[in-house]
Amino acid sequence: CATRQAREPAPALEGQAAQAAAVAQRARAEVLRNAGPWSFGGRVAIQKAGKGGSGRIDWRHDRQGGDVMSLSAPVTRQSWQLTVEPDGAGRLDGLEGGPRSGPDAEVLLQEATQWDIPVRALADWVQGVAAPDLGQADIQYGADGLPQRIEQGGWRIDYPAWRQDAVTGQALPARIESVRGDATVRLLVDDWQWLP
Amino acid sequence: GGRDELKTFTTGLKGLDGQFSQQVLNKDGKLKESSSGRVALSAPRLFRWEYTKPYEQLIVADGKKVWIYEPDLKQATVRDQGTEEQNSPLAALLDPARLDQMFQVEDNAEQEGLQWLTLWPKDPATANFERARLGFNAAGLARMEVTDAVGQRTVISFAGWKRNPSFGASTFKYAPAAGVDVVSN
Repeated sequence: CATRQAREPAPALEGQAAQAAAVAQRARAEVLRNAGPWSFGGRVAIQKAGKGGSGRIDWRHDRQGGDVMSLSAPVTRQSWQLTVEPDGAGRLDGLEGGPRSGPDAEVLLQEATQWDIPVRALADWVQGVAAPDLGQADIQYGADGLPQRIEQGGWRIDYPAWRQDAVTGQALPARIESVRGDATVRLLVDDWQWLP
Repeated sequence: GGRDELKTFTTGLKGLDGQFSQQVLNKDGKLKESSSGRVALSAPRLFRWEYTKPYEQLIVADGKKVWIYEPDLKQATVRDQGTEEQNSPLAALLDPARLDQMFQVEDNAEQEGLQWLTLWPKDPATANFERARLGFNAAGLARMEVTDAVGQRTVISFAGWKRNPSFGASTFKYAPAAGVDVVSN
């Protein structure tokens, strides 16, 4: 079974410092929201109740807010691809049994793989910003003023590592660890590109 | 043709150890990823893919289980080894008789200085690729290309093959270290 210790992050900012970080976060989120479509390549490890997998992930977020997420297994790089429309509908290609589609991409993915991946929210969390349409988000800030943890939609998203993005001048997460109950999605962003 | 090269390469072959470099291209032929490392195979069903660049990753088949260890992700995935044979054309190298059992084999003309075989899985449902191509030169298997259901192509070039080497005891073993989440696939 999965042996997982909860890695508690360093103490979060409080009071004045936390407020200042929250103001900076709003400005940062605004810049990122207007920076246009993006794509990234990286690695992902997924767990759900002791079951899971890992591999390479390629994610593209387009101007209309749709996403294409492809995951390929190691060595043979057997891959599958989830396309998410702006309205949340989805299509899943590459898995045994042929393509399938449905009104909710996340339900479609979970039924096909048993994995619990909050695809739409992750498109925001992967930039270190709260998802706009997932309700209340509590953000803890680290000593560097950047989000250290976001709690939203029952998920706890930790940001143990960041890197500087040359195009926007903003910090972007290099490592994202999201947990909800017995589901974990651990993402490493290896290369991030803003698209024309 | 490819068939004769396969025969000369696999006759008396019990194990292989060499370097590989891998490129993954999407269906439009755009390079998505390059990686490299060491690959070791030992009859009948042991193998080790040790990626070192651009980051570390280890895949070991110990005869009963296949372990996929991602150090940066602190996760190791383990599953039974049953389907791995179907998934990898490399398994056919150490057991050529099963090649024709597992695949429809087509002998192709020479291309890029290599003699080629194209392999179509006889049972596409269990194989996770649509077709594979094995390219041989004087040193044996030089290249393997695997195309999957979404048109993604993985091209692996091999070099420095050592035939029937003696392997260290831990070559085809993996034991998860403390702090690594072990999940089953």
